[in-house]
Amino acid sequence: MAKIETLSPVPITRSWLPRLNGGTALMVALIGVMGFIVIYPLVLILINSFNTATIAEEPIYGLKAWREAFSEYGIWRSLWNSVRIGIVLQVIALPLGVFVSWLLARTNILCANVFEFGFWISFFLPNLATTFGWMLMLDPSTGLINSWLRQIPLLSGLNFDIYSFSGIIWVHLVSTGLSTKVMLMTPAFRRMDASMEEASRMSGASAFTTLWRITVPAMTPVIVVVFLLSVIRIFSSFEIELLLGVPWSFYVYSTKIVDLARQEPPLVNQAAALGSIILLFLAAFIPLQRKLISRRQFTTVTGQFKPKLIDLGVWRYPATVFVGLVIVILDVVPLLSVLGGSFMTRFGFFNLPKTWTLEYWKMALNDPRILQGLHNTLIVAVSAGLVGALLFSLIGYVLVRTKLPGRAVLDSICWLPSAIPGVLSGLGLLWMFLGTPVFRPFYGTLALLVIAQMLGGITLSTQILKANFLQLGKELEESSRMSGAGFWRTYLRIVFPLMAQTMVMVSVIKFMFAAQHNSAIILLATSETRTLSLLALDQVAAGYREVASITIILVTLLTLGLAIVARSFGLKVGIRAE
Amino acid sequence: MSFLRIQNLYKTFDRVVAVDRINLEIKEREFFTLLGSSGCGKTTTLRMVGGLEKPDGGEIHLGDQCLVSAEKNLFIKPEKRNMGMVFQSYALWPHMTVFENVAYPLKLRGARGSEIRTKVAEVLGLVGLAGLEDRQAPALSGGQQQRVALARALVFSPKVLLLDEPLSNLDAQLREEMRRELKSLQQRVNVTVIFVTHDQIEALSLSDRIAIMKFGVLEQVGTSEEVYYKPATPFVRDFLGKTFLLPGKITAVGESQICVDVEGVGTSSLNVERNNVIASNHGFPAVGRAAMVAIRPEKISLSDRASEGVGNVVEGTLQAIQFLGDRYEYAVTLGSESRVIVSPEAQQLKPGGKVFLHLKPGGMTLWPSES
Repeated sequence: MAKIETLSPVPITRSWLPRLNGGTALMVALIGVMGFIVIYPLVLILINSFNTATIAEEPIYGLKAWREAFSEYGIWRSLWNSVRIGIVLQVIALPLGVFVSWLLARTNILCANVFEFGFWISFFLPNLATTFGWMLMLDPSTGLINSWLRQIPLLSGLNFDIYSFSGIIWVHLVSTGLSTKVMLMTPAFRRMDASMEEASRMSGASAFTTLWRITVPAMTPVIVVVFLLSVIRIFSSFEIELLLGVPWSFYVYSTKIVDLARQEPPLVNQAAALGSIILLFLAAFIPLQRKLISRRQFTTVTGQFKPKLIDLGVWRYPATVFVGLVIVILDVVPLLSVLGGSFMTRFGFFNLPKTWTLEYWKMALNDPRILQGLHNTLIVAVSAGLVGALLFSLIGYVLVRTKLPGRAVLDSICWLPSAIPGVLSGLGLLWMFLGTPVFRPFYGTLALLVIAQMLGGITLSTQILKANFLQLGKELEESSRMSGAGFWRTYLRIVFPLMAQTMVMVSVIKFMFAAQHNSAIILLATSETRTLSLLALDQVAAGYREVASITIILVTLLTLGLAIVARSFGLKVGIRAE
Repeated sequence: MSFLRIQNLYKTFDRVVAVDRINLEIKEREFFTLLGSSGCGKTTTLRMVGGLEKPDGGEIHLGDQCLVSAEKNLFIKPEKRNMGMVFQSYALWPHMTVFENVAYPLKLRGARGSEIRTKVAEVLGLVGLAGLEDRQAPALSGGQQQRVALARALVFSPKVLLLDEPLSNLDAQLREEMRRELKSLQQRVNVTVIFVTHDQIEALSLSDRIAIMKFGVLEQVGTSEEVYYKPATPFVRDFLGKTFLLPGKITAVGESQICVDVEGVGTSSLNVERNNVIASNHGFPAVGRAAMVAIRPEKISLSDRASEGVGNVVEGTLQAIQFLGDRYEYAVTLGSESRVIVSPEAQQLKPGGKVFLHLKPGGMTLWPSES
């Protein structure tokens, strides 16, 4: 006891809240950085749509780009094509998604957990792999399914052409069109109070009347959110249209911008004009999206009784077969055909003297372009993952835990990128780095690609981090502050370790995003900074199918493979509707 | 004549027996309660009656119709049973107004517009919600939601009304109010009610008969007074209200009374009425056998001295007195047990002192010693 008396009080010089100037400085820095990499490129696009000189020349302002862009029939056509694909896709995918989610979550279908995992796989399977896998199946002349059809007597006239509007819709559906919806809606269906359905049965409605009159209407808020999230992303779609549309001169918004920017001489100003229209369109949608996501749903949990599953009776087995077939189409077919493509002497030719070969793998693993692509991909994805997680956790923390002025602005900036098509932010960054003399040396470096890829998942990342900061008891931090630690020490010693798991998850998500998406970097990469997935696009376009298979397998390992590893460590890698 | 007949009903969940071959007969227009703590199988039984669970064994008959028979592989779907049900969470459909919620069962039965409007207005008036037709269900208070759920379950004049803990989500005051309303409502609409609750007050006050369940087995079925004052098993005795248990030895077995010497609480012996002996088998009661006398605290009166010539008095220690406004609570230790005895009036007693407890002869029951 005597010891305590001799202790002199430790003077605590740090103030309780971050000092006003320190906190403001942090806020200014965050808004500055985010504004610079998110807003400034978009402003540049708007400005330069009124510029008639190309990048890195003295600007000459005028309406020439707008006039030319919209006197060209192809630009209107590409916008309409994006909308058309969006509409047809949603009309098919949404009802199908609702139905499959209901089967998985509310009925006694067999293997529901396995199937749900199947949709999860499909979600993380890169678009590139699904598209290419199905190209090998449905190419009008060499596609495996088409050659099989030719051998069947009555069906020999049947031929599916993947290079068509319906082919594009099909691949959208089997890549993420359906799996996103199932992943978002199944948990929501599961959380729905089962007694709402039971009350309907007791009122005299059959299981299917209940689905139609009670379950679906009660789930409408979730379904609307999922629908609008898909609508907002109509103009973001890129890889599928690039591989399946461009060969027959079918352009959508994003592929048209790339086409304009890559022409010789480049029509970047026309691309900017085209970009600006969608910016204005999205300006109306972003507040709506934000409202939708941040709103709470009214579905309730009771927890009193284990949700009772609906007995499908005799329909149980047909329903199981149906969902199983969907999983085969979504996961098994593309994976097997990409694998087959890499190990077969000629894909689809099972009667060759030497059907299987390791030649292509030997070639690929000695190919300097593939090795460089792998190297580039790892640098870009790891950097985007690490920097992204650190920066966004700081942003999330500042948004949730401080009362600094300017939080609303910072929050709004974080909501922007999810709605901006990757091609557009790529175009903006291109302008920023080529058009500003100070930054020009950065063009052609991987740093540019890191910034572009980091932007892609800002909204999702900050949402996840914000949700986790909210869950973390505030007392844990307050007791650190009461012990005398300041803002930064508390953040680094208390918050950071407690949030480690979430940060790893955000890093993993950012890594996967960066390793597989091309739209944001396609205008920024050079042949030296090309990533694996960009390389795969070039290989497919050039017709090197076997080597492309191998590149795509590598991309899949980096994305889906990583997702599976993360999942086995217990990370809840996925997407949520709320 | 029984209206709803449950025979050998059996149900397991993942090999855990939830309902273990129970038999019940419920009369028409009866208010019948299934009472027990959570996990006793009462809700499962109710859901099997409604058709929301399929039994693994046994049968349920309504009148002369067989609703379900596991042995005959017969099952009538819930929507064909014509029973109304109120769920614990009320399960109002959030995308519908009050009117649409209540009208839903009528629409499914093909009723016409004017008929629907009349009937919905009628039943909403009955539950005291007239005029709220156009409100959205989630915008209502808990008590109002409860009434809408009740209206929805009653609107198509079902043969049976199933209530699954309908009052447990309400706050205490509202619960009392709804309890009284539920009783008067049932008397007005004359419907057979099966009510599931874990609350003994609800069960005792509402029911014509109560079935008390434990681990999927029926412990006792009887009227409120029967199960309260003549519990058939130690579980029922201890589950409903409080009891003093006084261990002793039988000293005499008479024609109408049995004499028991109680240990450690003075010298007096207690006289228990012959028909208050529980489990009279295996030669019980017999002179010399160890026994327990059980008595409800409210059948005890306190005084500061033992009146001469009055039997059935035991001696205890008064631990504490608390004044609660409308009553006094006396914490009394008797032997090894401590219980609270309530009295509306102040007694001339001091904490720490001796106290004499007069046990009402009719309130005592005699049990074989539990060892």
